[in-house]
Amino acid sequence: MSKPTDLVQGTLDLLILKIVALEPMHGWAIAYRIRQMSSEILQVGQSALYPALHKLEQQGWIESEWKISDTNRRAKYYSLTRAGRKALTEEAANWERLSGAISAIVRTG
Amino acid sequence: MSRWLTQLRLILQSVFNRERVDLELEEELQEHLQREIEEGLRSGLDQEEARYAARRAMGAIAKSKEESRDARRVNFIDDLSRDLRYAGRSMRRSPGFTTLAVMIMALGIGANTAVFSVVNAVLLKPLAYRDPERIVTLSTRVIAGSANAAQTSLDEQISIPNFQDWHDQSSSFEAMAYYNGREIPATAGATAEYARGTQVGPEFFQVFDVEPVLGRFFTTEEGKPGSGGAAMISYAYWQSHFAGDPHALGQTIRVYGRALPVVGVLPPGYRFPDDTDLWVPRNIGTEDMKDREGQNWLAVGRLKPGVPLESAQAEMTIIARRLEQQYPEANKDRTVGVKRLRDKMVGDVRLTLYLLLGAVTIVLLIACANTATLLLGKATARTREIAVRAALGASRRRIIRQLITESLLLAIVAGAAGLLLAYWGSAALVAVAPPGMPRLTEVAVDRWVLAFTIGVSILTSLLFGLVPAMYASQIDLNEALKQSAAKSAVGGGIIRMRGLLVVGEIAMAVVLLSGAALLIKSFIALHRVALGFRPENVLVMRATIPAASTQDISRFFQDLLPKIARTPGVLSAGATMAPPGHIESSGGYFVDHLPSQPDWTSAPNAVLSVVAPGTLAALAIPLKMGRDFSEGDTAEKPLVALVNEALMRRSFPDQDPIGRTIFCPYDKLQGMTIIGVVGDVRQSGPADEPKPECYMTYRQHLFNGNTLSVVARTVGDPIALEETLRRLAQETSPDVPMKFTTMDATLSENVAAPRFRTLLFGIFAGLAVCLAMAGVYGVMAFAVSQRSNEIGLRMALGASTGSVLRLILRQALICGSLGLALGLAAAAAGTRMLTSMLFQVQPNDPWVYLAVAALLGVVTLVASYVPARRAAKIDPLTALRQE
Repeated sequence: MSKPTDLVQGTLDLLILKIVALEPMHGWAIAYRIRQMSSEILQVGQSALYPALHKLEQQGWIESEWKISDTNRRAKYYSLTRAGRKALTEEAANWERLSGAISAIVRTG
Repeated sequence: MSRWLTQLRLILQSVFNRERVDLELEEELQEHLQREIEEGLRSGLDQEEARYAARRAMGAIAKSKEESRDARRVNFIDDLSRDLRYAGRSMRRSPGFTTLAVMIMALGIGANTAVFSVVNAVLLKPLAYRDPERIVTLSTRVIAGSANAAQTSLDEQISIPNFQDWHDQSSSFEAMAYYNGREIPATAGATAEYARGTQVGPEFFQVFDVEPVLGRFFTTEEGKPGSGGAAMISYAYWQSHFAGDPHALGQTIRVYGRALPVVGVLPPGYRFPDDTDLWVPRNIGTEDMKDREGQNWLAVGRLKPGVPLESAQAEMTIIARRLEQQYPEANKDRTVGVKRLRDKMVGDVRLTLYLLLGAVTIVLLIACANTATLLLGKATARTREIAVRAALGASRRRIIRQLITESLLLAIVAGAAGLLLAYWGSAALVAVAPPGMPRLTEVAVDRWVLAFTIGVSILTSLLFGLVPAMYASQIDLNEALKQSAAKSAVGGGIIRMRGLLVVGEIAMAVVLLSGAALLIKSFIALHRVALGFRPENVLVMRATIPAASTQDISRFFQDLLPKIARTPGVLSAGATMAPPGHIESSGGYFVDHLPSQPDWTSAPNAVLSVVAPGTLAALAIPLKMGRDFSEGDTAEKPLVALVNEALMRRSFPDQDPIGRTIFCPYDKLQGMTIIGVVGDVRQSGPADEPKPECYMTYRQHLFNGNTLSVVARTVGDPIALEETLRRLAQETSPDVPMKFTTMDATLSENVAAPRFRTLLFGIFAGLAVCLAMAGVYGVMAFAVSQRSNEIGLRMALGASTGSVLRLILRQALICGSLGLALGLAAAAAGTRMLTSMLFQVQPNDPWVYLAVAALLGVVTLVASYVPARRAAKIDPLTALRQE
């Protein structure tokens, strides 16, 4: 199991930020939501998810809080910080630009 | 802002509250797993299947944890503390090894730190004046390559008229002043004693931008010739002679019979030049402006802010060229040199100190190589330990980091011990340093020295730690684990590596030893040289008569000398202006007749001495022709002179000089009749060839000759007669300051600089040889233990003890001769730097290299003989059974 490449890593960060922006969520729910929203195309294993979550928290873009979940167990909920919201806007714009550029090239082929 | 705080909190939490963080991570991952299982159950799997699928989906939980922790940047700190603890444990586990390694490195680091502390104080630290880089010296310089380039007797000094022109015509300087310091008789209380006195020009203190801590500077009036005069005193003199009393102002100090009022005290630490006690003002009189030839002064200046040294030098060169054309009789072929004060003060000490730093660096490198071989040996012994850790999943990087941490810890412990050594070492260095070395009082272990030690420790830990670490990281797991516990896997690579290190050690030791041998040979030559006089058992008593009239002065010595000569234990006594060891005065001379327009700049040069009758006998300078001075040669009689053989060779080749006339510009330009010829004396110490010399007698020449040194040849220890002579002198005149030494002590001071260099180089070379010897021993012993099976087999097959001995010794000899060859090549190139320090020895002296080679050869053989003997005594049965 190799580490996700930088591109994927960066993309995963973007996805997490986007998902968490909707509402505070715990790790499993984030993975579930990504899978669901991408129509099962994007599968995020926990081996990639949790390091990414912790990194984002370390960067100060998300923060965490222990809460009682819907299953009545303790779970760690992640939510977006102000810095995270700014980062999300920038990252999203970057992604739009990048994916637009890539699509443009791929289509001309 | 709050973001940074959050991050800091998270890191701190991770480091200091690790257990909770780990538990939370565990809980978070377990929660995830639980959800996966529930999801599986919901989609119709049974409990077991769901659990299995969830686990598979999640991958390795442990790895995920590790990476999550990495994301928190915790692992680095965590690993470091674990590595340090582990390193500490492994150091404690082998105390013998640790002590040895720490001692070797502490020696290397300590010696380096000690030498650096001196280099730092003497060469690197800025001078303790305001804007020290703006303070420069100005001196007369004979233009190189000109006809008079060789005549640099008392060059660098300047004349007052020249100074005045420099001062008035230049625009680069904020202030410029002349000065001249010497030992003067000063009476601050009841007793007359010597003090360091300096006459200074008007702008002297502006050059240094100092302010008196008490009182004021001189007024213009006080500096004028014929005024009452005044004195400023150093803080130290104020403390020792006036107990720091503010009422010292206005009290008087008697100097040469004049009572000078104290007008000010300078701040502590300011004693320029040469630990001055008293400064007295000296403004320019009309008489001074007439004597452009008499170069008796030194000069300092303060550059205007922003003026670079080069442009000041350029301006002065132009002015000097103008003065050369204007006054050729005094300034022909002469120009002005502008130098930073620090560079001037440091002078030739710089080369000595940098060479010592180089030597001590070599010692450190050898120590590093030694420690590296020790660590290599240890790394091979730990092969299995490392292999097991690698097998359990430690990455190569982690293993290297672990080993480097161990070296670092070792180096830090050694650095701390080295600092302690350096503390004593630098004190010892200061104690043996030659008296001419400037700024020694500033030597201390300060923050720069501390930074140096830390830097050196870290650097050396990399030097000696990297090799074993690289080796250990390449261990072949399979091989290492398969080997039996008793026998570690050692490839040919490691033996080669250690061999190379030893070759390097020997080579470096050869370089140092060659340097030391050259210096020692030169030092011996310095002591063997014929001085031209006999220095043993000569008491020297310097005395200055604080009287104005020459009659009083000559009467004092006239009365005193016969009394001393009659003292039991004294064989003969005389008195001289300058006992051999330093030159007091020199100048051009003419023989037979004086030209009407004498060109002193191109006249031959002679040392000028004033002596009393009896001096030749007291110093055992042989009289070759004619007669010695007598008490009958008085001021009323015709002037007479003695010359030495060097002068005779120069000016009277194959002629009889007796009865001829010589003109010397000492106090009067009257011709003196030569009455005798004496043997040559090395006037400025053993290292310098004898120069032409003209002796005059004290009763005919007492111009500024208030000071003479009585020289008395004694039967036994000259110092034993010190009190007797002091009493005799005080009976003759009560307020005469005196200072005692012996001719032997003066001579020893003459060779203090070479002694310092030789001593330190010798010590460093000795250290280097010992370390190299230990290195050879270690490597050979290791090789023998590694090859014990092979040797056992050979012996079982009938090899004799002698052939085994030869087998091992051959290996040592290969290392030794490789190192020797490399070292000799490097030494031949490197010792050229010593050329200016060698006396009667060439840097490529073949005997020196032969001796070095022989010594190193013997050392290598001795160091490897012990392990070789052990190899030869191996019992074949035991050796083979170990397999």
